[in-house]
This record gives sequence, structure tokens and C-alpha cells, in this order.
Amino acid sequence: MTDSALATNPAPVAAAAAVAPKLIVRDLNFYYGGFQALKSISMDIPEKQVTAIIGPSGCGKSTLLRIFNRIYAIYPKQEAKGSIELDGENVLDPGYSLNRLRSKVGMVFQKPVPFPMTIFENVAYGIRHHEKLSKADMEGRVEQAMRSAALWDEVKDKLKQNALGLSGGQQQRLCIARAIALRPEVLLLDEPTSALDPIATSRIEQLVEELKSQFTIVIVTHNMQQAARVSDLTAFMYLGELIEFDQTEKIFTKPGKKQTEDYITGRFG
Amino acid sequence: MPATETAISATDILEQRSRRDARHERLFRWLLKGCALLVLASLLGAAGATLWGGRDAFSAFGWHFLVSSEWDPGNEVYGALVPVYGTVVTSFIALLIAVPISFGIAVYLSEVAPTWLRTPIASAIELLAGIPSIIYGMWGLFVFAPFFADHIKPWLTSNLGNKPDDGKLSWVAEHVPFVGKLFGSDYPFGASILVAGIVLAIMVIPFISSVMREVFQTVPTRLKESAYALGSSTWEVSWDIVLPYTRSAVIGGIFLGLGRALGETMAVTFVLGNAMHLSASLLDPGASIASTIANQFSEAVGLQKSALMALAFLLFVVTFIVLLIARLMLRRLASKEGR
Amino acid sequence: MSALYLRRRITNAVAMSLSMLATLVGLAFLAWILWETLRQGIGALDLKLFTKVTAYGEDGGLLNSMVGSLIINFIGIGLATPIGVLAGTWLAEYANRTRLGESIRFLNDILLSAPSIVMGLFVYTIIVLPSTTLTHGSTTFSGFAGGVALALIALPVIVRTTDEMLRLVPSTLREAALSLGVPQWKLTLQILIRAARSGIITGVLLALARISGETAPLLFTAFGNNYMAFNPMDKMSSLPQIIYQYANDPGDAMHALAWAGAFVVTMFVLLLSLASRLILSRNKVSHD
Repeated sequence: MTDSALATNPAPVAAAAAVAPKLIVRDLNFYYGGFQALKSISMDIPEKQVTAIIGPSGCGKSTLLRIFNRIYAIYPKQEAKGSIELDGENVLDPGYSLNRLRSKVGMVFQKPVPFPMTIFENVAYGIRHHEKLSKADMEGRVEQAMRSAALWDEVKDKLKQNALGLSGGQQQRLCIARAIALRPEVLLLDEPTSALDPIATSRIEQLVEELKSQFTIVIVTHNMQQAARVSDLTAFMYLGELIEFDQTEKIFTKPGKKQTEDYITGRFG
Repeated sequence: MPATETAISATDILEQRSRRDARHERLFRWLLKGCALLVLASLLGAAGATLWGGRDAFSAFGWHFLVSSEWDPGNEVYGALVPVYGTVVTSFIALLIAVPISFGIAVYLSEVAPTWLRTPIASAIELLAGIPSIIYGMWGLFVFAPFFADHIKPWLTSNLGNKPDDGKLSWVAEHVPFVGKLFGSDYPFGASILVAGIVLAIMVIPFISSVMREVFQTVPTRLKESAYALGSSTWEVSWDIVLPYTRSAVIGGIFLGLGRALGETMAVTFVLGNAMHLSASLLDPGASIASTIANQFSEAVGLQKSALMALAFLLFVVTFIVLLIARLMLRRLASKEGR
Repeated sequence: MSALYLRRRITNAVAMSLSMLATLVGLAFLAWILWETLRQGIGALDLKLFTKVTAYGEDGGLLNSMVGSLIINFIGIGLATPIGVLAGTWLAEYANRTRLGESIRFLNDILLSAPSIVMGLFVYTIIVLPSTTLTHGSTTFSGFAGGVALALIALPVIVRTTDEMLRLVPSTLREAALSLGVPQWKLTLQILIRAARSGIITGVLLALARISGETAPLLFTAFGNNYMAFNPMDKMSSLPQIIYQYANDPGDAMHALAWAGAFVVTMFVLLLSLASRLILSRNKVSHD
């Protein structure tokens, strides 16, 4: 199956060959009603590395990310065609249950969105849906997730307070803790720092660096410096097409395509 | 080997849970939909129940029910004309008074008043909308109707009416057709169609003015600013820019007020005098559909009960149509805004 | 030219004065009505209002009517709140932009201003008549029937506020919960309704304010009772009903009692709408 797909769709991912791919995207097309937002995307996303997706607004980078966990499916008239294989199974197959997909693929959004409940409950809420844990186990799990998200020391004394009282940066790390508490394999970050100040941003970037030992991370960002700082691989998208996908270092120093070069040197977008 | 086994069973558990989630999801959806359908059921039920209750009256009198002014429980003859006339005329008077005043309030609050004054006045007017209608009725009965009988009615009958106290007909009554009849009355009390119309007007002013104010605020500022930039006065902007832009919603707001006025019971029952006969004079007592039902239903039996149900059906259908028009007109502005 | 300017300026000045006058007229009537209710109501306030039942007539109080009003309102709001919140949730979360959803939302808006007396007759037909037949006349009018009639009036208010408040909840919250694998029904019940909670409570309070003053639908459902009734299957008095009855009575002492009742009802309604405003303004602060 994979072989034939590879044969018909030459994958532009030579760079990733060194590491085993976690997500294999093949011939992915996406439609908003009549509008085609993604055109035949194919890429291999390597395991336990950070892959950044960059491009001007409207290029389809967030759209692509939102297909990985099928979150787009809550809106009518949005449709994805093609395949995304996670550990060899196509997650776009309707038979691939959302419970399974979303426990394996976590997501963090642009704006921090804490649930209207306590800090502790925010992290415990998702776990509770997937697993039945004893009180002590749950507390351990929450603490672990918060430690991984570099949040524990700041909130350990106010776990019973409402999460809406945290600062923006803390809220976003809470959302990361909430996502990794489910122990996913892939973590999707959709412009996670665009609503944050520079200090909060650098904390999140540092966190991404730490988390990549445990998770396969895909980050969408409009900030090229951020992509250069945190990612191992970078994909450049333009008008719904994947223009170039390579080692971050190469993309930012010796881009293979004219459009990529124009974009990273700031000549458009 | 053990690793694969646990992996498989973990997947099984996941699939099991997914099926359970889907089942709960379906149940939840049906529960919610059922509740929403109850809204529909109460509308249909109200129409159906009154039509069913009024079937005897409809079949006994046919279309005569609509055009006959006779309401005679002794002889078991019932016609809807008196209450229908009272309902329509009181509501018409209410709109005649309420629409210009509401427009004035809306213009004042959206264009004229200093900003710090707008919210308090708007809240005060909305307070008026919250007062229960029975309070309007009591105020009308004990305060306004006597005031009207003492201070306003004598002036109206002697200057406009054809039945003045001193026997001398006014100029208006002699020279303008109909007006004399409208304002002539021998009836000594305040309770009358005109007073009911005025009380209704006070009741619907907050509804109409708050809708108007809301829709006036949807007019894009750049539109108003460009008119002001051309040297238009506040009045010209309100009349030539704001009103045409919001016309359909303004009409919707007026119909909303009309719907309220047609169906109102308590505010009018107290001040209408409850007389089941037709009179041309606005100063004579009358009856409305709602007031007739409120007054007679408890003691009615047989055909009279059915006739009252039939009246309720008429009222429901008419207000439904009026409110339907109101909502459609209001929606037009909403779609213009792209909401 | 200057004549034209003058005419325009005069027209404007006249129109602006008229708009101010209209506002003054509106406020004057508000003040007049509130003033009379306060003056006559406070004048008639008396301890026996709260200790004696209406059976004593002029020498009685309104205790049974107040208790009846509380019971009937409680039944009304108790029935309308769960149904209204669930129906509003369906409109906002499941049927937004579907044809059936749009139609029900539209009809709900109409129901919002439908004549309440017809709702009373509807409940008379579906509850009072059958219960009379089934119990061979031992249960006829009842507090329960009155509660159902009020529920029908409260329902559209609650449906509408729930619908509007849920649609204000940002869709990112939905996405965040769904991305954790939480199913939609859990998301709706545990997160969305909680996020819109204060708005929904406001709607319930507004509905309560609305039904506390309703008279017409109670006349043929709860009917009235001169004695204390706690059983919802009994005929039951209520403040609006007793106000209506006493105001139509020729005696001045009865009128005073009616004013006292009117004062109590008005204060209750105004306090409720004040409370709902406060909750709503606090809500806006905490959500932004």
C-alpha cells in the first residue's frame, strides 16, 4: 500500500529519510465547500523531531495541521481527500475512531483556551474521559503533565483556583499540559505563541525543545525566527501547495526554490 | 508478545468506548431535539386547542361569527365583531401614539442625548417594559381613567364631540365629518376605547423604542459621518440616512408592538369598560377579545365557552401573522448586516 | 441661501426638541406609574398582609396568594428551565444553520410575544379539562396547571437566552475540548453550558420576572383560592389573580389590598431584573 503510494506520488522528503516517519501524508487535498484550500500535499513527518510549517497567511498551514487530528470535521462542508498514515494506519478513514486518534494526537491552539473550571480540573478533565484513575494516580498524572509543561512550580499552590485567573503564558502552558496529560504521540501546535508576549514566547519555545524527546511535534508559525529556532525540519507552503520541505538549516540558508527564498528574505508575504 | 496483546486490548477498549460515546451522543441529541420540538408543540397546541374548543361556535354561526355584533348569552347568539373591533381600534390608537413617541425616544437616545445620559435613560425605559401589565391596568383604572374623565374627556366632548354638556355643537363637530361621532359620548366614566388605547400605547412604547434604538445603532458610522461631513443636520441624518437604512427593521419593531397590543389582556381589561355593544365613539366603553375572554370564561358554559375559545383562536392566528411579519422584517436588516 | 439654512436649522431644532419631549413623556409615564404603585402600595402595607389569608376579605391579608405565587412560579420555572436550556442548546450547538433549527428559532421568537391568555386556554384544554374528567370533578383547576401555563410563557425566554449565550461562546473552546477526544455531549454539558452559565441564569431570572406578573394565563388554570393551599393539585391563589379580583371589587379597602399586592409584585419583578443585569455585567468582565 505504502509502496504503491510512494511510487505514484514522489515524496519531496529526502531530508527526513534519516529518521523513521511518524506521519506519512500522501496526496492530501482539502476543500472548504467549493474552495480547494490544499492541493495534493505529500510529506513525511519524522518521529520525535520538531517540524515547522511556515508560509504567508491563508497558505493553508493551519488547515493542514487541523487535518492531522480531524478537528476540521466538526464543521459541515469541509472535506479532506487523500491519506495521512499514523503508524501505518490511515487516520482519515472514518473507521479510525476519534477517541483513538485524539488520544494519540494532541493539539494546542493559537489563543490559550482554558476550560471554565479549576487549574487541576483543566488537566484532569481530558484524562478522565479516557482512563479511570484513582485519586492519587490522577494527582500524580496531573503533576507530571504540569511539570513537563514547566508549569508546576507556578501553580502547585493554587490548583483549586479558576484557570481563567492565570496569565496568558501560563494559560497556554496549561493547555500544553492538558494536551500532554493524555500521553499523545504527536503534538500539534497551531501558532501557540501568537497571543503571547516575548518572555512567555521564549518559555514556550524552550518547552518545545524539551518536549521533543517524548513527542513528535508539528508547529505552525507565522514567525520565521521561531521556526528557525525551534524546528529540525521546515515546510514552506504557499497558496495551498507545499513548496519546499527540508532540514530547517537548509531552508533558511540555501533554499531550493525561488519562492522560499523570497519569503524568508522578506520579499513578500 | 505481551506487548502486542496489551496493545490489542487497549485498542478494543478504545473501540468499545467509542461505540458507547456514539450511543450516548445519539441519546443526548434526541433528548435535546425533543425539548426543541416542545416549542413547536406549544405553538401548534395553542392553535389546535382553541380551534377544537371553538368548533361548536364556528359550526353554529359560520362566517356570521365574524361579522355579527350580537353577543347575547341569554339567546345563545354570539358574534365576534364587538371584541374584534375593540381589539383592532385600541391597538391602532396605541400605535398612533406609541410610534412617533418611540421614534423620538430612539432618535434622542442614539443621536441627540449626551453619551453619559444614554444608558441611564435607556435602562429606565427598559424598566417600563419590565413592569407587569396588571400594574398598567391598575394604574389605568384607579389613576388615569379618573384623571381622563375629569380633565381630558370634558374638553374632548365639548370641543370635538357631538354630544356636548352645554348643548352647543363645536365647530369641529359641525364641519368635519365623523369626528363628532368619534368624540361624542353620554357615558360619564373614564373607561373607554380611547383610554385603553392610551394605556396600551404606554405599554408598547418601551418595546418599540428599544427595537428602534437597537436597529439605529446598526447603521454604519461612516454612513452617518459622511452625511454630517456634507453639512447635514442631526434631524436630516436621522430622517434621510438612518430611517431609510433601517426601514424594514423599524416596521418590524412596530409590528412587534402591534402583536403585543393585540394580545394584551390585563392592561386593557381594567380600562375598557367591558360593554358588548358597538359604538362609534372612542369615549364609549367597549371590549377586546382578550378582555372578553378574561371576563366571561370562568362562568361560561356550552356555546358561550366555545365562542370564547373561537375568539381566542382568532386572536392567536391574527397575532401570529402580525408577529410573523414583524420577525421577517427584523430579519431583513440582520441579513443586510451579514449576521 | 441663508433662508434655506435658516429653515433647515429651525426644522432641526424643532425635531430635536420633539425627540427630547418624547423621551420626557416616556419617562414621565414611567415615573407616574412607579410613583402611584409606591405611594398606594406603601400606604397599604400592613403586617396582616403577610400573616392572614384572603378568606377574611377586607380584614385579611395576602398570605395565601403570596405562597401560591411562589409555588406556581416555582413549578413554572422548574419545568421551563431544563426544557428551555436543552432546547436552546440544541438550537445553538446541533441545529445552528439547519432548516428545522432556523424554523424553531424563528417560531420561538414569535412565541415570545404570543398572547398569554391563549396559553392559559391551551393549558385549560390539555390539563384542567382532562383532570376534571379523570377525577370526576374532584380535581379541576390547580396550581400545577397554573405552573404549566407559566412554564409555556417562560420557555421561549429561556430558549432564546440559552441559544444566544451559547453562540457567544468562542468556537476555540469547542475545538480545545474535542481535540482531547471528549464527545460533543460531554463538551456541551460540562464545558459550554458552564461557560455560558451566567448568561443562562440571567435568562432564567428574566423569565421568572416575566411570569411573576402574569395574570391572564392563571385565571383559568390555577383559578384562585381564599385559603392556604400547598398541594399543587388544589386550586391556588396568586398575587396577580388576587390583584385582579380585588381591583374589580367596589370596596376601597379591597383596592388598598390590591395596591399592596401590586407593590409586592412590582418590587419583586424590579429586583429580579436588577439582579439579572448585575449578573450579566459581572459575566462580561470575567469573560474578557
